[in-house]
Amino acid sequence: MTAPTAPVFDIQRFSIHDGPGIRSLVFLKGCGLNCPWCQNPESQSARPVIGFHRSRCMESFECESVCPNKAIVRGGQRVDHDLCSRCCKCVEVCPTEALQLIGETIGPRDLLDRLLVDRAYYDSSGGGVTFTGGEPTLHAAFLTRALELCAEAGIHTNIETAGKFAWPDLEPALRLADLIYFDLKILDPDAHHQVLGHDLGGILDNARRLADGGFPVEFRMPAVPGYTDTIPNIDAVAAFLHSIGRRELHLLAYHNMGEAKIEVISGDQPRLGLPCYPDDSIRDLRRGFENRGIATI
Amino acid sequence: MERWQPSAEILALRSDHQASRPALGAERAIHYTQFWKRESTNLQPCLLNARALADHLARRTIRIHPGELIVGTHTEHRVGAICHIEKAGWAMLEDLRRFETRPINPIRVDPQAKRTLTRTVVPYWLNKNLAMRAFPLREKVRYVKDQLGAVDHVVNEVGGVAHFLPDYARLINTGTEGLRAKVEQRRAGPGLTDENRDYLDASLVCLDAIDDFGDRYRREAERMGRHDLVEVLQQVPRRPARNLHEALQLIWFFQLLIQIESLDQGVSLGRIDQYLHPFYSVESSSPDFDRGRVGDLFAAFCIKLSEIVPLFSSRVTTYFAGLPSGQAASIGGVDERGHDATNELTFLLLDVIDSFKTRQPNWHARVGAASDPEYVRRVVEVVASGGGSPAIYNDDVIPKAMAERGVDASKVWNYATVGCVEPALPGESFTSSDAAIFNLAFSLELVLGGGHALTSRSAARRPWLADISSTADLMRRIEEVTARRLSELKHSLDAVELSGATHFPTPLSSLTIGGCIENATDSTRGGAIHNASGIQAVGVADLADSVAAIDKLVFRDGTCTLAEMADACATNFRGDDLLLARARKTAKFGNDDPQVDRIAAQLVEMFDRCVSAHTNTRGGRWMPGFYSMTCHHGFGRKMAAMPSGRLAGRPLADGLAPVDGADHLGPTASLNSVTSLDHGRFGNGVNVNIKFDSATVGDDSGRMALEALIRGYFAQGGMQLQINVLDTDLLESAMRDPDSHRNLLVRVSGYCAYFVDLTPEMQQEMIDRTRQHA
Ligand code: SF4
Repeated sequence: MTAPTAPVFDIQRFSIHDGPGIRSLVFLKGCGLNCPWCQNPESQSARPVIGFHRSRCMESFECESVCPNKAIVRGGQRVDHDLCSRCCKCVEVCPTEALQLIGETIGPRDLLDRLLVDRAYYDSSGGGVTFTGGEPTLHAAFLTRALELCAEAGIHTNIETAGKFAWPDLEPALRLADLIYFDLKILDPDAHHQVLGHDLGGILDNARRLADGGFPVEFRMPAVPGYTDTIPNIDAVAAFLHSIGRRELHLLAYHNMGEAKIEVISGDQPRLGLPCYPDDSIRDLRRGFENRGIATI
Repeated sequence: MERWQPSAEILALRSDHQASRPALGAERAIHYTQFWKRESTNLQPCLLNARALADHLARRTIRIHPGELIVGTHTEHRVGAICHIEKAGWAMLEDLRRFETRPINPIRVDPQAKRTLTRTVVPYWLNKNLAMRAFPLREKVRYVKDQLGAVDHVVNEVGGVAHFLPDYARLINTGTEGLRAKVEQRRAGPGLTDENRDYLDASLVCLDAIDDFGDRYRREAERMGRHDLVEVLQQVPRRPARNLHEALQLIWFFQLLIQIESLDQGVSLGRIDQYLHPFYSVESSSPDFDRGRVGDLFAAFCIKLSEIVPLFSSRVTTYFAGLPSGQAASIGGVDERGHDATNELTFLLLDVIDSFKTRQPNWHARVGAASDPEYVRRVVEVVASGGGSPAIYNDDVIPKAMAERGVDASKVWNYATVGCVEPALPGESFTSSDAAIFNLAFSLELVLGGGHALTSRSAARRPWLADISSTADLMRRIEEVTARRLSELKHSLDAVELSGATHFPTPLSSLTIGGCIENATDSTRGGAIHNASGIQAVGVADLADSVAAIDKLVFRDGTCTLAEMADACATNFRGDDLLLARARKTAKFGNDDPQVDRIAAQLVEMFDRCVSAHTNTRGGRWMPGFYSMTCHHGFGRKMAAMPSGRLAGRPLADGLAPVDGADHLGPTASLNSVTSLDHGRFGNGVNVNIKFDSATVGDDSGRMALEALIRGYFAQGGMQLQINVLDTDLLESAMRDPDSHRNLLVRVSGYCAYFVDLTPEMQQEMIDRTRQHA
């Protein structure tokens, strides 16, 4: 059997807000949901892609001469993704890192080696590794193996998920993780379907199973103006948490830094044009949850 | 225990202190000149210097300022820049006409003093100052040319040596009386040469001069009706201190006198929370113990230390910006059995560092596996509050590194730091830890330029490059050039050391260094128990990045030839944006890249080999260190572009840290590259400066991360870390409106400085670098 691989689009080190201690965040590419506010638009498709940073380009066009597939176009977004085979020849010759591979396909062992460089800092801080994305659960076999390797190495692990996964595929991974961050978004089934393009039911079932099964799960909600912070949604999230015996919620304030990345991948995600979530609205939101018996973190 | 907060009185004292703008301390220069003219042909060198000092101290203008708890200034001014006219002070007077008007670090000059200096003092010392006496005529010219706008190295010992840890642990328990008894006993002993006798006689003159100076202040206190001070001054400096107040007054007298005599650089306090703890412990067990007042005493002591401002010309300021004086004070650490030695006084001092920010002393906290976790947590909290203090030293690495360099292994637990970062044994070392700062990166420019700067005409055609056909060849050449340059430096440094020892010995300072009295020999002549010289390398990261760039672009990819690369550097990559971009894209030190890190490790080893081959004229070894003060700016300004893509005139990397902006994977990657180097080699210390925006690390999880970062870095063998927690908005407003931000302290390479005292280039560097990590 060949070792499972997955497209990793970034490893962000010295992160101090995604689980305990100093952590490395492993961003896996690909996501089953379609949140319009997605802050990592480059993570939505599981397919690796050659990203193009226009502002860095010196127009030397050496990429053009090395590309075996005539996928470099002078106008527009530089790379014709349909012709591109992601051989990365252009990335190598590009003098400035204007062209970049987003989503390097690697195996769990290779990933572990890259994570171990910060071992001393995980140990000194009680930190570890957080698998995020995209949706890390899309890569069940890879994730399971990576978590096993981390466990063998004694590294604390955390999975961040939006909850859309098939339980039997993921159960081994969920049992290995030391912590699971589960994002609740829009809890009205119709609105969920309409905004995110998928059914809510499976997600809530998974959330309930994790809570009931004694998994180390904590719930979070992205605070996105007009989407998740409406009164009915606050009601629904609070009611759901109560129904599974939970009284705590992490709030994640929306920021709009992801929108600049859309162009890099020639993405077609519409821009929301929303401002970052203001501090005083977050305070109001916290109060809203607290009034409903839910403490916020 | 409740945190100490400064009293209203001590805050008022600090405001008065800060309102006094630095003024040129000309009296010493004038008095010394008069004395030299009269007596220099009649007296042996030690006695001549001692008598000149005594004469100056007897005539110096003295004043006690309202509200002072500790008295005595090192110049006739409240905040003063002293002119050691016989040493580097002479060269600093190149700014005499513009001290007051220069934009950076202006210094007031009394018009009368200015006239005397110009007419009689400067001409008198033209051929008599230390540097000019060091060299024969032809070398003199070369030396002066090299040191004006230095790019190769800076010889700091032309200013004198200083940079040591006076034996305060003993002095507070002996006073001058104890020293006098010791000197007299030695004077009566057998086997003394004329030179020994000269030294011992001079020591006695110094002891009398110290007592007389103290008496002058006592009389002044009497005149002012300051009975509290009179009581203190009746006891010290003559007799052993009986309490903290007397101990601090005694230390301050020695501290200021040593800096009057020798040089106002690197005279360091040692383990102050350890040797003062017995006094603290007696006082704190008394029923009327007033912790607030004890904190105030230390605060008053910090104000005193901050009165000392170096006299630097504008030219020199580029290399040493921010008015450093390097009076290091160590806290924490272990006892003889290796157990944690922190005590209540340690915590009180941390409160003082936290709530009473002053430019000096240079606070250093020893931290190791044995440290009390509560102490470490508090250190981190203080660091996170901004101001750049304390810098943190690794107790699990430094003692071992010292022992490997021949320091007595049974004593290394008791190390303290000197000046910026240099570890030494208190009371018995004369390590000249800041003897010279050496531009290591410049070796590559000389290799590419065939022994000349790349921009010089002699380097225009480069046939020698044809012989370099691999990275190994290149490294060999860099080592040859480095070894040759260090031999040249050795030649200059020896001449300077001998000139200092012959003409300007420092008998007063020598009284405080173990071994000098026993050996009846001045510290400048090798009297101390432990001798050494510290040679600092600057630009390690730039050099490693450049060798890595050549390795990839020339020897592996064949993108260009070495001659083309040299051309590009000589012309500052003009017209070759593509090569510049490619150079910048190559792997850089500071990103956990094994290949570049290995090159850096080889360079560090190479520097160690070349430095350790030498000894100084005092019988001590040369020790490699890696810190830069602000010489990374000074040297960088004069250098051509480098193969790493660093452009001409840009600063080099600070200390042992990666090039600014090159480390894009965050602090753990950056520190991993640093710890991939063998810190056991850095006998003279390193400085690694990292900056955080206060928004990132200001909360609990931020502080936790800082502590873990320090612990992780230390666990991997890191020697020293200084953390700047800065608010970029605040820095920017300080740039616009310096007057409202006089108190804003930041940590420069190895010391703290008021932000407004820095050059605009240094200010911008601070802001950019903090942003980058936000
Ligand atoms: S990755 Fe390969 S195929 Fe795709 S654009 Fe670059 S060179 Fe062409």
